Amino acid sequence: MTALLEVRNLSARVADTQILSNLSLSLPAGEVHAIMGPNGAGKSTLSHVLTGKPGYEVTGGEARLDDQDLLALEPEARASRGVFLSFQYPVEIPGVPALTFLRTALNAQKKARGEAEVSAPDFLKLVRAKAAGLKMDFDMLKRALNVGFSGGEKKRMEILQMAVLAPRLAILDETDSGLDIDALRIVAEGVNALRAPDRSMLVITHYQRLLDYIRPDRVHVLAGGRIVASGGPELALDLEREGYDRFVDLAA
Amino acid sequence: MSLAQALLTGDPGYLPSRREEAWRWTDLRGLIRVLPPPAPAFCGDLPLASFAAPFPTEEVVIVDGQGPTGLDIPAGETRRISLRLINAAAGAGHVGRVRVSLEAGARAVLLQTHEALAGGYVGETQIDISLGDGARLERLVLADDREDAVSVTISDVRLARGAVFNDAVLTTGARRQRLETRLTHAAGESEARLLGLYRLAGRRHADLTSLIEHESPGSASDQLVKGTVDGQSRAVFQGRILVRPGADRTDARMGHHALVLSDTAEVDAKPELEIYADDVSCAHGNTVGTLDDEALFYLRQRGMSEARARAFLTEAYVSAVLDGITDQDLQTVARAWLAREAAP
Amino acid sequence: MPATSKTAAQVLELERYKHGFITDIDQDVAPRGLTEETVRFISAKKDEPDWMLAWRLEAFARWRALEEPNWARVDYPPIDYQDIHYYAAPRAGEGPKSLDEVDPELLATYAKLGIPLSEQAVLAGVEGAPRYAVDAVFDSVSVVTTFKAELAAVGVIFCPMSEAIREHGDLVRQYLGSVVPVSDNYFACLNSAVFSDGSFVYVPPGVRCPMELSTYFRINAEKSGQFERTLIIADRGSYVSYLEGCTAPMRDENQLHAAVVELVALDDAEIKYSTVQNWYPGDAEGRGGIYNFVTKRADCRGARSKVSWTQVETGSAVTWKYPSCVLRGDHSTGEFYSIAITNNRQQADTGTKMIHLGAHTRSRIISKGISAGRSSSTYRGLVSAHPKAKGARNFTQCDSLLIGPHAAAHTTPYVEARNSGAQFEHEATTTRLSEEQLFYARQRGLTQEEAVQLLVNGFVKDVLQELPMEFAVEAQKLVAISLEGSVG
Ligand SMILES: Nc1ncnc2c1ncn2[C@@H]1O[C@H](COP(=O)(O)OP(=O)(O)OP(=O)(O)O)[C@@H](O)[C@H]1O
Ligand SMILES: [Mg+2]
Repeated sequence: MTALLEVRNLSARVADTQILSNLSLSLPAGEVHAIMGPNGAGKSTLSHVLTGKPGYEVTGGEARLDDQDLLALEPEARASRGVFLSFQYPVEIPGVPALTFLRTALNAQKKARGEAEVSAPDFLKLVRAKAAGLKMDFDMLKRALNVGFSGGEKKRMEILQMAVLAPRLAILDETDSGLDIDALRIVAEGVNALRAPDRSMLVITHYQRLLDYIRPDRVHVLAGGRIVASGGPELALDLEREGYDRFVDLAA
Repeated sequence: MSLAQALLTGDPGYLPSRREEAWRWTDLRGLIRVLPPPAPAFCGDLPLASFAAPFPTEEVVIVDGQGPTGLDIPAGETRRISLRLINAAAGAGHVGRVRVSLEAGARAVLLQTHEALAGGYVGETQIDISLGDGARLERLVLADDREDAVSVTISDVRLARGAVFNDAVLTTGARRQRLETRLTHAAGESEARLLGLYRLAGRRHADLTSLIEHESPGSASDQLVKGTVDGQSRAVFQGRILVRPGADRTDARMGHHALVLSDTAEVDAKPELEIYADDVSCAHGNTVGTLDDEALFYLRQRGMSEARARAFLTEAYVSAVLDGITDQDLQTVARAWLAREAAP
Repeated sequence: MPATSKTAAQVLELERYKHGFITDIDQDVAPRGLTEETVRFISAKKDEPDWMLAWRLEAFARWRALEEPNWARVDYPPIDYQDIHYYAAPRAGEGPKSLDEVDPELLATYAKLGIPLSEQAVLAGVEGAPRYAVDAVFDSVSVVTTFKAELAAVGVIFCPMSEAIREHGDLVRQYLGSVVPVSDNYFACLNSAVFSDGSFVYVPPGVRCPMELSTYFRINAEKSGQFERTLIIADRGSYVSYLEGCTAPMRDENQLHAAVVELVALDDAEIKYSTVQNWYPGDAEGRGGIYNFVTKRADCRGARSKVSWTQVETGSAVTWKYPSCVLRGDHSTGEFYSIAITNNRQQADTGTKMIHLGAHTRSRIISKGISAGRSSSTYRGLVSAHPKAKGARNFTQCDSLLIGPHAAAHTTPYVEARNSGAQFEHEATTTRLSEEQLFYARQRGLTQEEAVQLLVNGFVKDVLQELPMEFAVEAQKLVAISLEGSVG
């Protein structure tokens, strides 16, 4: 059986700098994998290449979702096939209320999939429920998306969008950074609630504490633009104790 | 129309008037009825440069427009130069032009002083500055004109690829004074910082006009001008940033901030952006205001006289501009100049 | 292809102008050309008193001595002022009348444009929906004005200018030309000589006008110009909100629209003036389209008076327009909110003047310019404080958005401060659509076109929310349509 996400020998560069080289990764349906690695290793780059951010040039290898070529698709086509990225640095969009944004996104995805759009009342009901689950003040959703939000609020907003859009593959890029202790727990609970047999997650993080809440099935170490080691949850604990030194040597 | 043309021909018809958009706030036609006679050749002793002390350099002196015509700095060399533009003849007219050129990779620090030995002069000086590939020039201009003088100074600056120009112009104005900078990013990836500071009082007038042209991709311009007007003085700021088609990745910023300290003083500003390329980030800001009453009270409550408190706050307001000067000696000279001007 | 250049290519593709149809109606037109005779002809057609004719003739004499201005950043071939019809009217369409007398062809035209001319239709609308009184101007004449009786009951006069000249001569004589003097500028002077119709509004002291007033302008006739004249007087302590909309058929020729709008606000009065300008912009190659050369000025004559201008400018081939406020009364306030969108070969040079004469006067300017295709958009503004304007305050925010490599955006603000109490603050930015924001929206599933539209709506939101509700919805649609080439 092929995995939900299959990345083989992926190489990519940005502005003439090779960042990813021969990166391979297999993420079966229903599993949660963590990616850890030193600053600048290429973790965010991987998330951008998988979601099709302009400016990244794939120089080799492939990435397949449900055994279909992902890299040939436009970013929005990947999104409506269920690829969701929780950005490390969520973007501010002045003048567009978060609610308007989210509803436009949801309906765009539904339309692309040939599904019926959600009505305004159904949408509000859905968002209210999800926001309550994440202990978010509903009034915040009336403000322009992310404008003036604190770091933690932005991250919560990302998870709310994930909950509403219900993706098949969620990539969380350092969603834990900037969260206070309570928020970390709430966000982790939100993530856990989304665990499902047909949904997979790639959790990029620097810290064990997130993994205490979200128990990953596997942990990968990304260094020097490729996966240099993989193991069970215990690998994260090793890293926390020993740092990345031995992996950085491996990557060289 | 230019002052130089009028001086050379003796015909006031060539004087720029307020009917011309570029001179709308600096009217020379209405001011000068008869052009003064040309300055006689200078004979006599020149005073020592007042700012020589912290600035060990070679000296280039131009008196009433007469003197060396150019200054060339060969590739790779580093120089420190003092350029003195001296107005010596009372009530006379003069036109001058001097070239400063830096070849590829050359570096220079230039202290340009406008000095006056007598009053009533009418002069125009053009300085053609060119920077070769990767050349760097830092210039400080101290424009100390007499209150009854009319003076126009035009700096025409061309930057080759990767050149860096850091400029600061400090002035107290004149009867009419225009300090104009035309700068072109000709070949890309060059940087310019244009700083300006004016302190005007009495019936003085100063006009800081600039045109910054981005002709090629990847260049940056950063302009900051601050000043104060008191008495019946008038400050003019006309800044224009022009980004030509194809000058992508241009980053241009312009700020002009003025304090009006008296009800009979005036500030006129026109910060313009003219943009023909889409991959750009340009911004300008312009503020005109007055001293903050709260701050004034705070200082007085701590024991300063009102005059002292005002001087203190205005100096603090304008001095931020000087932080942008990177050469330590120029920085010292500039601060000394400001301290002299700020002494109540 | 990077997102924005793709967008630009689409912008060039097509511009869907939905109001481009021509109404086939019997016309009454003045012969082409402009002489004293033309002026007399128009005045006679309108059955005007002598003083009005004398006023027009003086304007005409002065106009002949003036020169067309050339300082704006717009470029168009010389206009042949002798090749224009200065008067065109639906036959037997002289003067407003009751609805059942109006040519059904005309009613159909307005229905097609979405303008409710039938009072019953408006009344039969959704309960609680805002009501609009409409003055419909078709070429040179007003064809109908609705809700006149209901307005008259509270003393509000709302009628065509031609009728006001005949029936409220004293008011017109007192105020006409008092804000925009006859020879203020070339186009205003031309208008003073040949203006045909327009709206007149007078709101008596203390009255809050019970409904939105609106005028809907339509140029239909070929080779004709439109020269309407609007005068609004808000007497002490009154309030009125006025809306203006305009469209024209698609024609290969350029048509001239030179209007004058004068607003007078007395003590404690407030006028809100909103415009959705959607004159035909010409085709993608720049053929045809309206030359929109308009003079709009408000005199905040009374203490604590207030005028806000809100404009959404999406149409016209060339726009030259600076709705301004003369802040004469102490503590008076002027506001200017503007969205200007240019696409294809359109050119717009627009902005405002805030002239602070009185003490503690305030003004606020928010301008959003969007240029796409090969168009050019200029913000031109003046903020000045005179020696007596102690404590004057201005805030200006002026943002430009560029879509595609061939569009141009300019900002030319003038600031003149002549006293120590004034505080002026001006900020301006020019950027292109952010690739980061576009990608973020696309990552969430929006198409390129939807993402562009969403970001543009966000960009103009500060101004849209200044419009009356009903208009805001229409304007938002218009913004989308204007950039439709760029959004598929
Ligand atoms: N536009 C760019 N031009 C040049 N280098 C870039 C660009 N974008 C990213 N890089 C470089 O690519 C490398 C990988 O960056 P990336 O953001 O993927 O790291 P990361 O693993 O997510 O790091 P962190 O843990 O700090 O978030 C870094 O060295 C970064 O500087
Ligand atoms: Mg990262």
